[in-house]
Amino acid sequence: MENIIEIENLNKSFKDVLAVNNVSFKVKKGQLFAFLGVNGAGKSTTINIICGNIKKDSGRVFVNGYDLDTQLFDIKSKIGVVFQNSVLDKSLTVLDNLRSRASLYKIYNDEFLKRVKELAQLLDFEHLLNRTVNKLSGGERRRVDIARSLIHNPEILILDEPTTGLDPQSRKTLWNVISNLRKSQNLTVFLTTHYMEEASDADYVVILDSGKIVANGTPLELKNFYTGDYITLYGVDLQQVQKITDDFTVVNGGYKILVPNTKIATQLIIKYPEIFVDYEIVKGKMDDVFLAVTGKKIMENNQK
Amino acid sequence: MKQLSILIKRNVKLFFKDKGMFFTSLITPAILLVLYVTFLGNIYKDSFLNAINGFAVVKDKLINGCVGGQLISSILAVSCITVAFCSNMLMVQDKANNTINDLLIAPVKPQMLALSYFIATEISTLIICYISTTICLGYIAIVGWYISFVEILLILLDVFLLSMMGTAISSIINFFLTTQGQISAVGSIISAGYGFISGAYMPISSFPLGLQKVIMFLPGTYGTSLLRNHALNGVFNEMSNSGFPIDAVNNIKNSVDCNLYFFSKQVPIFVMYIVLICAVLLFLGIYILLNVLKFKKSK
Repeated sequence: MENIIEIENLNKSFKDVLAVNNVSFKVKKGQLFAFLGVNGAGKSTTINIICGNIKKDSGRVFVNGYDLDTQLFDIKSKIGVVFQNSVLDKSLTVLDNLRSRASLYKIYNDEFLKRVKELAQLLDFEHLLNRTVNKLSGGERRRVDIARSLIHNPEILILDEPTTGLDPQSRKTLWNVISNLRKSQNLTVFLTTHYMEEASDADYVVILDSGKIVANGTPLELKNFYTGDYITLYGVDLQQVQKITDDFTVVNGGYKILVPNTKIATQLIIKYPEIFVDYEIVKGKMDDVFLAVTGKKIMENNQK
Repeated sequence: MKQLSILIKRNVKLFFKDKGMFFTSLITPAILLVLYVTFLGNIYKDSFLNAINGFAVVKDKLINGCVGGQLISSILAVSCITVAFCSNMLMVQDKANNTINDLLIAPVKPQMLALSYFIATEISTLIICYISTTICLGYIAIVGWYISFVEILLILLDVFLLSMMGTAISSIINFFLTTQGQISAVGSIISAGYGFISGAYMPISSFPLGLQKVIMFLPGTYGTSLLRNHALNGVFNEMSNSGFPIDAVNNIKNSVDCNLYFFSKQVPIFVMYIVLICAVLLFLGIYILLNVLKFKKSK
């Protein structure tokens, strides 16, 4: 698979603060790429550099083969961005908003109406076209934000914490839409999020801390490297669990044991078949990976 | 061109749909109207009668036409500037709420956006000011009409030039603003202050001499005077035709800023136009330069 984004030794400082510190990574075409980090980790700065909104201090950025230093407009026509907070004109209708944004890509008249119709069907907002944006619900507004970001048929969709503040139903709907877009249009999705379950669905994850990449890999690689497996035993008593280990947690209706990896879990099953009658084994979560890597809990205090 | 026209339409629509911005732009003209209705109108009537000093019998229509002419020229002079400032606040609002990032994420030149803000501001300002002009002329028709067709055209030209100047100055100032707080502060200062320095609240001739000299360096002063001249020229002609002494008419002209003196030398009407046009070109040039420098820096 070819690389659609290539970042090499990217640096950016704001006065004394090193916001992005020698960051390098690659995003493959069609991938769901997740960028994780707490507030101030450098995620938004990196995105803004890729989009050309902030000047980098040094390093190279290539998007779809275009060099940011010399082909910014080519890059801009290839990316769509859904910002953390909706930046549509709230007192204008959905249609007027999309019209003004489409004009930025020189999409007018019939071409514009055709594209709006496609997007309205895809994102289910045909009935909202003549409604002013400030009268939309959070979920409806997000769908229109996505439509705006896709108005010019980009190859890369950058989602900067797109589901923050949305109810679970709207989050689910949004991810269904994005998933369908990826399948139907081979869209590359570059995601920053503080919902770990969203990151665990990614093809590749980069964890950023204080402007530096501190870990990267597929969610499975990260989980295997930074966390263990959790075995939960049901229908057993305390003595049986203590045969295996003294390090366990009592959970609802059972006992939870952390083992370094799946291989060890398998060995335990073979060794204690009489104990492993009713049980489940799950890998560590992305929260555990993040905690292990950065020493910070991402969801606590509502931090990124 | 299509891109520019859609962006201009967006900006104009946003201004007229934002009730806060729209009504803020009308504060100064409203203050002026209240001042005239409550006491300024009477003061001008009295000073007018004092200037006549019993030389002639004055018809009510003529007095009302004179006071009305001052009122409408003041309203139009301040409206052209304050409406332009409020309308152009959209440029700052787009920065304050990060909409500018959404616009610049696209392959559009920043200069295109700057031009769209400028033209949209000029259009919004002209729409409001020309509607105001129509209402003002309607008011004059009721209280005392002495304005010729040519003078109506000249008033429209004055409004156009003053609104261009307002748009250019506001574009320069708003170029540096980025927050809602700054929008409020600048909006309040302009709305409250411009009425005074333009001579709309009180004639410049009533200011201390030193202040008068300073005000003569401000191009807006000449715009106000042009509007005064064109709104009151018919009144002065009628006075002369009615046998008013030339000195008395000249005194009235001096007292209502129709005659401006730059270091004791009277400024002719055509020079007022030259000053205004040069000011518009100068401010426009500065705004273009600022955008060019910003673009170069971002490269």
